[in-house]
Amino acid sequence: MWAYFKWEFRQFFTNKKNIAVYVILLFLALYFAFKVAPIYEPIEKVDVAEMEARFTTRDDFIKSVGNKTNVHPAVGYALAIFPQWNELDKARIEAIANKDYLKYVEATAEWYKYSDAIIVNSGQLFYNPLYYTYGNDFGHADGHYGYGYTGSRFTGYAEGNPEFSLELFEERTALQTLQRLLNNYLPIVLFISCIFLSVDIVLKDRRNPSLLKGFPIADWKRLCMKGLIAFIGSVMSFIPLCVGFVIIGLQNGFGDFSLPVPIYSYIEKTFTNMSMGTFILKNALFISVWILFFIAIILLLSLIVKAEFINLFVSLIVIAAEWLYSNRGMGAFTDIQRYPTSYVQVGQIISGYKNYIYESLHLTYQNGLIIVGSCTLIMMVFTLIVSQSKRFKLIA
Amino acid sequence: MDMLELSHIGVQFGDKQVLKDISITFQPGEIIGFVAPNGTGKSTLMNVIMNYLSPNKGKVILNNKLKYSNKANEVKIHQAVSMMPDQSDLYNHISGKNHLKIYQAMWNSNPKLIEDTIVKLGMASYVKKKTGTYSLGMRQRLCFAMQIVSDTQVMLMDEVMNGLDPTHVELISQILLQKKAEGKTIIIASHLLENLEQYADRIFFMKNGDLKLVDELAPEFTDKKVTTVRVSNFSQELFEVFKKQFPGLHVQTLPSGITLIDVSEQDTATLGDITQYLIAQQLTDFSFGKLTLNDLYSMEYQQR
Repeated sequence: MWAYFKWEFRQFFTNKKNIAVYVILLFLALYFAFKVAPIYEPIEKVDVAEMEARFTTRDDFIKSVGNKTNVHPAVGYALAIFPQWNELDKARIEAIANKDYLKYVEATAEWYKYSDAIIVNSGQLFYNPLYYTYGNDFGHADGHYGYGYTGSRFTGYAEGNPEFSLELFEERTALQTLQRLLNNYLPIVLFISCIFLSVDIVLKDRRNPSLLKGFPIADWKRLCMKGLIAFIGSVMSFIPLCVGFVIIGLQNGFGDFSLPVPIYSYIEKTFTNMSMGTFILKNALFISVWILFFIAIILLLSLIVKAEFINLFVSLIVIAAEWLYSNRGMGAFTDIQRYPTSYVQVGQIISGYKNYIYESLHLTYQNGLIIVGSCTLIMMVFTLIVSQSKRFKLIA
Repeated sequence: MDMLELSHIGVQFGDKQVLKDISITFQPGEIIGFVAPNGTGKSTLMNVIMNYLSPNKGKVILNNKLKYSNKANEVKIHQAVSMMPDQSDLYNHISGKNHLKIYQAMWNSNPKLIEDTIVKLGMASYVKKKTGTYSLGMRQRLCFAMQIVSDTQVMLMDEVMNGLDPTHVELISQILLQKKAEGKTIIIASHLLENLEQYADRIFFMKNGDLKLVDELAPEFTDKKVTTVRVSNFSQELFEVFKKQFPGLHVQTLPSGITLIDVSEQDTATLGDITQYLIAQQLTDFSFGKLTLNDLYSMEYQQR
């Protein structure tokens, strides 16, 4: 069996298509590190000019109407909330000017909590205008999430006291970039890589049938070896991506594994912080289960349908399916938590973002692992049963 | 030593009966030759033996007990029975030596066989190069070498001599004889009839889905004495005259153009008369001997 493993391993890593996948990933990592990451503009950035503008506008307002009586209720409300708001803005501005970053993170954490509390249900006040983009009907909800997230993040900084930097505050360090990408399209890039790496892992043997068919090794053992190699190969797609990680780290710092990652709780409607290390480990585990899921699909289809196009089509449909049915808030009236396809964006599941946008209590990390893991297990068992049948030949 | 038995094997593709109720046993230390034109079922039979193709009826039995009744048994049978790979199935980006290594490792045979086989087949100069650079003959030798290093008890070889020059045909023939001496069962499908005739213990013609033992088709085939006069360029007129001159002799002209005169029951005087007659008719291209496999092949398969 070890000999077969070595043979398949060699085939996998000398396969031109697979080498092309790794090269493309390396190119994407370099492109991201040199072109995309440097121009990243977070909505919640350290913008002293904006803070000063806000502070000055409110201060002028307080000075101009602060002594007047019999004012409009809206003016009265503004006079009630502006002083504390400005106090926090002033503290942030001064802290930045003095490079007192601990004070800055404390004031910023308070600023976001205070701002969110007064904006969320006001109907007259708004979050950062960048949340209200054209065509986004949920700008206010996104702002609420963004402020809660940022407030929790800065609270975590204040409590954890990491090495402060502007890059850290704007989530530009390598680990924070990784976290951001895990919440975004990185899992999908990894899954697509896995699919392209594994799509022909069984069916490629049809090109050399007489050489391989007579090997004295059971079909199920061959499938296990192929699955294991596809898994190793898929996990190794991290290596070219690591090049980008190192480049970003050298440019903006690496961050550290104790950095806080805000996790949204749908029940409590608040954020709690998880350490970066835990967040990445949870993502790695969930992504690994998903990779096994795709490999299981490909092995099963290769055995039954024997067409690489079908392997590719079905696997990509699994990735894309969520976009076919997803609708913001739908979790309240549908059972999307039962579909494995609802868990493809693993970072968003772990961070609780999916709970927030789908308004679903059940789209959780644990449920995701159970559902995707169960589907994987069922497919693997079915594949092994089929492979034992005399009717099915691994190499036709 | 393992014995391989085919019991009532029948294979049908649509309306065409390719193999009809074939029953035969292959013994250890035996070289078997299958001879037939293309498309008559040689490869089908080998595929059935390897279970690459499930027969419509019948069984392949190894050592009186193992059958292809489940996949576990298939693995056990494949540990003892192997088929030479096709040269077009080699991995072009991998060296010949690595091909040999995987066959040695998969069958867990003696690693020393790799170097021994490389030396015996004169492959040392190119075996470390990628097979994509090999000529047809080099690829064929590698395929043969791969099966030799697998060192299974039963070896199936389909057109093993394809693309080989006479030197290598002879080289491989010697190795086959050596493997036979080691007690291996070797089953060969070949078109190189004269070569096959040299080393095969039993030769079968395949026709209409049946296996016909050559010895049964022509009992004199294995005789050591002179049984046949083979004459080239025997014209129809001379043929008729000859038959009148020697009415007791069985004479036939093969589709290949060779005329065979059966002299198995004749005395030396008659042989002398025939010789004199042929020389008198200026038919100097003749020989005394026995029926060859080529003659039998021509009788069985060729049409005028």
